[in-house]
Amino acid sequence: MTTLEIDGLSVAYGAVRAVRDVSISIAPGEAYGLIGESGSGKTTVAYAVMRHLQADITARRLALRGEDLLAMDDRALARIRGRHVAMVYQDPMSALNPMLRVGEQVAEVLRRHRKLSAAAAWARCVTLFEQVHLPDPARIARRYPHQLSGGQQQRVVIAMAIACEPDLLIMDEPTTGLDVTTEAVILELIRELRASMGASVLFISHNLAVVANVCDRVGVLYAGKLVEQGTTQQVLHAPRHPYTIGLLAAIPRPELRVGSAHTRLRAIPGALPDLRQVPPGCIFRDRCAYAFDACAVAPTLTEAESGHASACHLRDIPPLPPEPAVAARMATADTQVTPRLAVSGLSKWFREGVSIPFVARARTTRAVTEVTLDIPAGKTLAVVGESGSGKSTLARCVAGLLTPGHGRVLLDGRPLANAVNHRRRADQQAIQFIFQNPESALNPHHTVAEIIARPLRLYARTDGTTTRARVAELLDAVKLGERHAGRYPRELSGGEKQRVCIARAFAASPSLVICDEPTSALDISVQAAILNELVDLQARYGTSYLFISHDLAVVQHVADRVAVMYQGRVVEYGTPDQVFASPNHPYTEALLAAVPRLDGTSRPRLDGPGAAPESGCVFHPRCLRKLGEVCETTLPSDAPDDTAHVLACHIPQRDLRDLQRTP
Amino acid sequence: MKALQLILRRCGLLLVVLFIVSVLTFGIVNVLPGDVANAILGDLGTPQQVEALRRSMGLDLPLLQRYESWIVALLHGDFGQSLQFGLPIAPMLFGRLANSAVLGAITLLIAVPVSVLLGVIAGVHEGRLADRVISGFAVVAFSLPEYVIGLLLILVFSIWFPLLPGSSLMDPGANPLARPATLVLPVAVLALGMLAYLSQITRAGMITAMQSAYVRTAVLKGLPGWVVVLKHALPNMLLPTISEIGMNFGYVLGGIVIVETLFSYAGIGQMMVNAVDHRDIPVVEAAVLVVAVAYGVGNLLADAASILLNPRLRS
Amino acid sequence: MRIQWDNAAAGGFLILVLVAILLGPSLAPFSPVEFDPVHALLPPNFTYLFGTDEFGRDVFSRVLCGARPTLLLALASAITGVVLGTTTGLVAGYAGGVVDEALMRIMDALMSFPALILAMLVVVMLGADPVNVVFALGIVFWPRSARLVRSVVVDLARREFIEAARSRGEAWPYILARELLPNVRMFIVVDFSLRTTYAILLSASLAYLGIGVAPPTPAWGLMVRDGQQFLEIAPWLVIFPCLAVALTAIGTMLVGERLRRSAALPGTERSR
Repeated sequence: MTTLEIDGLSVAYGAVRAVRDVSISIAPGEAYGLIGESGSGKTTVAYAVMRHLQADITARRLALRGEDLLAMDDRALARIRGRHVAMVYQDPMSALNPMLRVGEQVAEVLRRHRKLSAAAAWARCVTLFEQVHLPDPARIARRYPHQLSGGQQQRVVIAMAIACEPDLLIMDEPTTGLDVTTEAVILELIRELRASMGASVLFISHNLAVVANVCDRVGVLYAGKLVEQGTTQQVLHAPRHPYTIGLLAAIPRPELRVGSAHTRLRAIPGALPDLRQVPPGCIFRDRCAYAFDACAVAPTLTEAESGHASACHLRDIPPLPPEPAVAARMATADTQVTPRLAVSGLSKWFREGVSIPFVARARTTRAVTEVTLDIPAGKTLAVVGESGSGKSTLARCVAGLLTPGHGRVLLDGRPLANAVNHRRRADQQAIQFIFQNPESALNPHHTVAEIIARPLRLYARTDGTTTRARVAELLDAVKLGERHAGRYPRELSGGEKQRVCIARAFAASPSLVICDEPTSALDISVQAAILNELVDLQARYGTSYLFISHDLAVVQHVADRVAVMYQGRVVEYGTPDQVFASPNHPYTEALLAAVPRLDGTSRPRLDGPGAAPESGCVFHPRCLRKLGEVCETTLPSDAPDDTAHVLACHIPQRDLRDLQRTP
Repeated sequence: MKALQLILRRCGLLLVVLFIVSVLTFGIVNVLPGDVANAILGDLGTPQQVEALRRSMGLDLPLLQRYESWIVALLHGDFGQSLQFGLPIAPMLFGRLANSAVLGAITLLIAVPVSVLLGVIAGVHEGRLADRVISGFAVVAFSLPEYVIGLLLILVFSIWFPLLPGSSLMDPGANPLARPATLVLPVAVLALGMLAYLSQITRAGMITAMQSAYVRTAVLKGLPGWVVVLKHALPNMLLPTISEIGMNFGYVLGGIVIVETLFSYAGIGQMMVNAVDHRDIPVVEAAVLVVAVAYGVGNLLADAASILLNPRLRS
Repeated sequence: MRIQWDNAAAGGFLILVLVAILLGPSLAPFSPVEFDPVHALLPPNFTYLFGTDEFGRDVFSRVLCGARPTLLLALASAITGVVLGTTTGLVAGYAGGVVDEALMRIMDALMSFPALILAMLVVVMLGADPVNVVFALGIVFWPRSARLVRSVVVDLARREFIEAARSRGEAWPYILARELLPNVRMFIVVDFSLRTTYAILLSASLAYLGIGVAPPTPAWGLMVRDGQQFLEIAPWLVIFPCLAVALTAIGTMLVGERLRRSAALPGTERSR
């Protein structure tokens, strides 16, 4: 008997037909990955199975273990939820009740469904915590959610989900909010639990590599339609639907980069159709590179080979032509003596709380400590690190949004005032900022034209006609049209908003643009377009970038130099070739190993939250290559070697290379 | 640790606020264009009388000096002399304050649990009949001034159907609890007004809590509805509501002015209105200050409670 | 409060308010102030719709003439309070730090006075005059509006579009007026409607206590105060002015509720 049977599922939120005619069946013990970008309806499918949606759900059949879910009333649903089907959520912090101890939140499931006594449920909860590898389970059980790290919270949620050994586990982006090293260990845990429990899994994700790590079979959802379905191997390595092909092509890959020239990423043009009026024909037609006459009729999901189905009229899809490389970039830079931006010995510590004698002492968080970096003209320096590494603080200090405690920021060799409002107009103009979240980086009450015109009015004081002409020019440069000029941000898609942010930054004719995670809030296909845009603009204007990111693939794609930050310090600094290949810093090594790969492998190396130690190397508490006492007592030197490669580690480079060669 | 730190900070802030309150009270009485002596004597005073009064009240002294002697005397428990009765203010003020406290405490004891209950019911059934009835009632009760509700209740319960006394007239020294029947209508008026507001606050809190991810988790664990509401949603909703109740304390304090006047109840509110009528400015000044202090302390207690109940701050 | 007909009620009320403000006194069948002892204390009838008071004045005419001063005073007080509060809230919320701390402690201190008591104190000190009542209510509303606007601004100030403006080197008046104010506007409008309701209630309460207005002004609160002694024999003296206060307050409340709902930006689709 199939564990989950979905046949012809449609879900509508009022007029919005979010999911249409989706059929999925999951066998006992099977892990099914549902892939989709935002707006694809993947989460809607998950909650439709849980019957927890304020929407109209229709289906020919929606059954769990042969029992019709649609026929169940609230009481019947309450009996199966948590017992036969359980869920793991995207944001564990908000999924846990802040007022209850985490042990109680797990134990109550056992008391409810297994009818265990309070003591037995608690004991079982501690066992479960052990099973999900929480350290010191008995003590953790008595804690409140806010006392746990993000990874530990997600382990608690997983323990809660597997408490009653459900037949089906639904995981809704379970690693999306986590750092890459934490993500890797959680994925490892999920694989381990699958092997030991035999539960079926419905795994929802936007990240193809993550799905490849966990799932046996995969479905690709686009605008509420299932467009491709097959084994993980089939879909991710021999995709048949143009959308899947496009998604895979949009992922940045190191091999796309040759020397200092970039091959452009392949973005999927266009945007999701409006699901209030679902267009006739193939749903992907407007954005498809292969669309032809027959696409006016909607294709059905048909099997091309055993177990591999695609909703496309084309049987065989020719490979996409390679994207042209970006025009040769300004070949100045390296020889130039004065860097565009130089940061030397920059530190920023935050004080938290107030000191009250005998009651409390103010705590100091060392966000950034003694960071020294420089960026040549027309080049990109990428700063990479996990949350809490201090990379955003560094960016804000350079921008003058935060005032550093120590150190200097020099632009073209001239020191800048700390606070942005103390800087000269020309310096304010020279450094522009692109933010992580385009949703909140644009004032919702200003039109696109007003937003882009503002830097022109502020710095160049151009008159009306010149401003209008320049706005049109900038809109064109970021591939937006005149028609966008009068719109408000809420009328734009995420990618369009980020283009407006880019246009606003370039309106100032800056010499340095700080990009703080400019694509992490965007879908992969949109990310590709934005990265292309940034690379093009750099080639055109010779702008330098300070590029902040947690995504190693993106960094590898855009960077000329890379700085790896951990706990506020730069632990490694060099060219991408130096940083991403051995010998590299043990932390960089661990980061690289943790990234999930499309071939289904990832090697988790680090666990537990990293707290900054009192002394020695900042990474020593988590370092797998720790030498011994010297790492705990002495800060490794961060002086560059003759190839300008900084590797702040006590282990000599040659030894590191040997260590890293052996698996 | 963190909780203690926060509560100590609140105490410190309360002291700062109380200092500003004393400055403001003093300022309103002494600095605003109106003149105390003029205000006391009204339009009838001759310039000579005004001048004489000014001198006898020390109004000809510099402002700072006046504030200093006023605040020093206050801190020693000396609230000055009532112009109307020629007696020290402190004893009568505190007797009245106790009477008002009885009224306020009973109101809180009734209104808080009932409004939490109504708010929870309305919030859980958002948009359905129970919610509409409760919220509709709240809008109406909220829009009626206390005296309108009070007169309506008097009209119905002591004139048309003489069940309850329409007046709580008593000797200021008497124990208000000795005649509980006289308390029913005043408490009802105050409680209705408070219910109207607080039930809407708890309703909004409940709606937010019911839409939260942790309530979704609880539902999808298969817990029965009442467990979800009482164990998962309610405690989270109560935290912000407790601070809100603290702020509402001010409403009760304001409401007693009208209610005590309407029912001739010998509390601090009636005393204040009486003092205003007789232009007994020192009494008004003292009473206003005492009420502001009571509000500050009430607020602090509510804040402290909500800090101590919050596991995020407790540990 | 999701009553279907509240749109209609709110609209109807607005029209009623306009009529009362513009035409009120001229619609009154009798003089609101002149004595007519022959017709004293008559119960409601077809000539005197709401009856007459102890001096033979027509209650209906008096209630009608009370509308204009009540509403104008309420609107003026709400504007005063909201303007003071918005300015304070914007500055405190955006500046943060010591400025915020100092301004908000002053607001806390003002909040420590129960609304009615503070209004009472200010009016008593300044003297009975409608302008002084407006000033007093404005001071009462000031901290409440300021706290609301500040809480919105603190939230907005963390958003990246404000960081973007700061990183451009914009001056703070530009950020307050052009970046923050438009985003606070809707909250201000809703707050204004709520303050108007409060102002009606508070001014009526002040009048009931005999503060701020003197007889024979046809203020509703004052009419209740004077009519109270006849409650047993002539309840209409109290009932009709009470009804007027209640209906006006409920009406402004409904208008505010309507505004509050239209204030929510058109729903963005969820990503499910």
